[in-house]
Amino acid sequence: MEQETRRRRQGVKTLLVSCCLLLVATSVFATVISFDSKTTQAQVDKNFEVTLFVNTEQENINAFEGKIIFPNDLLDLKEIRDGNTIVNFWVERPHKEQGTGDKKQGEIAFSGITPGGYEGEKGLLFSAVFRALREGDGVLEVKDVKALLNDGKGTPARLSLSPFKFIVSKEDPLVPGLLIPAPEDIEPPESFKPEIARDSTIFDGKWFLVFATQDKASGVDHYEILETRSGIVGTWIKRQGTWMKAESPYVLQDQNLRSWIYVKALDKTGNERIAVVKPRYPLKWYERWEIWIIIVLGLVIAYAVYKATRSKRQGARK
Amino acid sequence: MKITHLTFIYFITFIFIPFLVYASGVNLQVTINGTCGNGTIDSGEECDGSNLNGKSCSTQGFSGGTLSCNSNCTFNTSSCTTAAPVPAGGGGGGGGFYVAPAIGVTFSGRAYPKSTITVLKDAQIAATTIADANANFSVSVTGISSGNYIFSVYSEDSKGIRSSLLTFPVSVTSGATTNIGGVFIAPTIAVDKSEVKRGDNIAIFGQSVPSGEITIAVSSEEEFFGKTAADPNGAYLYNFDTTQLDMGQHFTKSKAAKEGAISSFSKAISFLVGTKNVSAQPAKCPAKADLNNDCRVNLVDFSIAAYWHKRALSTEFKPKEIERLNGDGKVDLIDFSIMAFYWTG
Repeated sequence: MEQETRRRRQGVKTLLVSCCLLLVATSVFATVISFDSKTTQAQVDKNFEVTLFVNTEQENINAFEGKIIFPNDLLDLKEIRDGNTIVNFWVERPHKEQGTGDKKQGEIAFSGITPGGYEGEKGLLFSAVFRALREGDGVLEVKDVKALLNDGKGTPARLSLSPFKFIVSKEDPLVPGLLIPAPEDIEPPESFKPEIARDSTIFDGKWFLVFATQDKASGVDHYEILETRSGIVGTWIKRQGTWMKAESPYVLQDQNLRSWIYVKALDKTGNERIAVVKPRYPLKWYERWEIWIIIVLGLVIAYAVYKATRSKRQGARK
Repeated sequence: MKITHLTFIYFITFIFIPFLVYASGVNLQVTINGTCGNGTIDSGEECDGSNLNGKSCSTQGFSGGTLSCNSNCTFNTSSCTTAAPVPAGGGGGGGGFYVAPAIGVTFSGRAYPKSTITVLKDAQIAATTIADANANFSVSVTGISSGNYIFSVYSEDSKGIRSSLLTFPVSVTSGATTNIGGVFIAPTIAVDKSEVKRGDNIAIFGQSVPSGEITIAVSSEEEFFGKTAADPNGAYLYNFDTTQLDMGQHFTKSKAAKEGAISSFSKAISFLVGTKNVSAQPAKCPAKADLNNDCRVNLVDFSIAAYWHKRALSTEFKPKEIERLNGDGKVDLIDFSIMAFYWTG
């Protein structure tokens, strides 16, 4: 009987130790999604920045998705910064979403991929700049988070999520560097190469343009597009004002692909990078109005020179 | 009178027409197609592949760095550096000027002999180069800002089969060139049968470094390992006896070792052990995620998938989703993850 009890105790012990080991192992190899900030203390009417990081714990992760939940009554979302992110292409660029349930809760939804995967301890996903509205304690949480392994199957990685607790007070928390300056950015976005494509399954088989770039300091703000059949002169005139805000993929206006396409990427401080796509079927020289203007102008000048020379010679003879 | 007419013609010919040509954007270019790419310096070539004709950055007027060869057999000096002059200690002087060091990243290592190496910067093609006969390569990406980048490197073997992506998160510092050496691209791998009759051999082959030691892994309930040597062209072949395998689907992958360096494992490819032999052709196109059938997985495919994200799929797109993505009838993060795995840029 005593032996039986001992055996049972031994079994329970083994089970407990196994469970502990399993828990430790799980936490050791889980991908950690966590917040980082210079402070956990914010001041009323002042901004503070919180950054979302991923630690893949030796796993190779190629897709991320989730939501940051923040208290709407305590914080006002002012800006999202993704300038130095490890995410190469956003499926859903981080943006504020109205929470479906509790109206006191704001949501920032995000979803994106890193082709080839990311393996590292401090991969920056994005930062959110909030303005503190009133005194109180609050928590930033992440929910509906997915991190998928770079295994060709989209296997979910085990996750460990850490909430971020903060306090908003009226007093200045006296934390150095708490002011959130706009990122210094004097460089334009990275160079990029837009590509024309067509697929029967989207846009009714029309030609579209795809483009993407990054800006490592302040982040890309938006793109603008200009399509023109004109050459140098016409383009110069058009570039002064008729750019259109656009997103990738962009359905081309000129489905005959005879236009020059200019794609401008602007970062959040206004620096710009322009990529040019040459027309696939350029206009013939005689189809371009500016060539005809040059021809007519040239002929007028030539005729004027001719006339002037002739009258000069005639004058000299007399 | 005749002279006046001639003046008119000269005016048209020498002033007006060149302006017209310029305005119409006509480019006159003469291209001489020689034997560029054969590794030998032929007439009119400065270099060819890794053959730099004994030249280096210093012979080209630079103080250091890595000289490489462009695909048109001219020197690529973008990774050559010029030393900044030491500021003079007062007293005027002058003459020297500061040349800001280029910000860039240089990758060097081993791929396959004469193979094309592609470097992706943040998932878009940034540079390509060709490895020499010994499979060595060096390639630079310049003209980038300081910040965090995800660089990926892959190679394509003599049969057009692509390796898996090797990814490097790199933090680029202003005014510095980052060198990433010792890159060892995993071998390519293919099998001669998609289904093999149990007990027959299946040929597992691919390309890696010349004379490299290739380790083949075949997954089953227990994993089987075999070794073979690559030939001087880097090609390898391993005949695996399937007697020891259970019926059903199995995977195989390979890795290479040479002079103490070991590559990562290649991507795993599958085959079926069954009751008959069905031959297979090496797949040049990505097995999944290529939505526009151009044998590449890039921003175009991403854009097509993104179009269908959170939308009901059309009857035309549904079969594509089943064939090229995960086949669950919707486009979600799993499909994008599959795309990210098969990415070619």
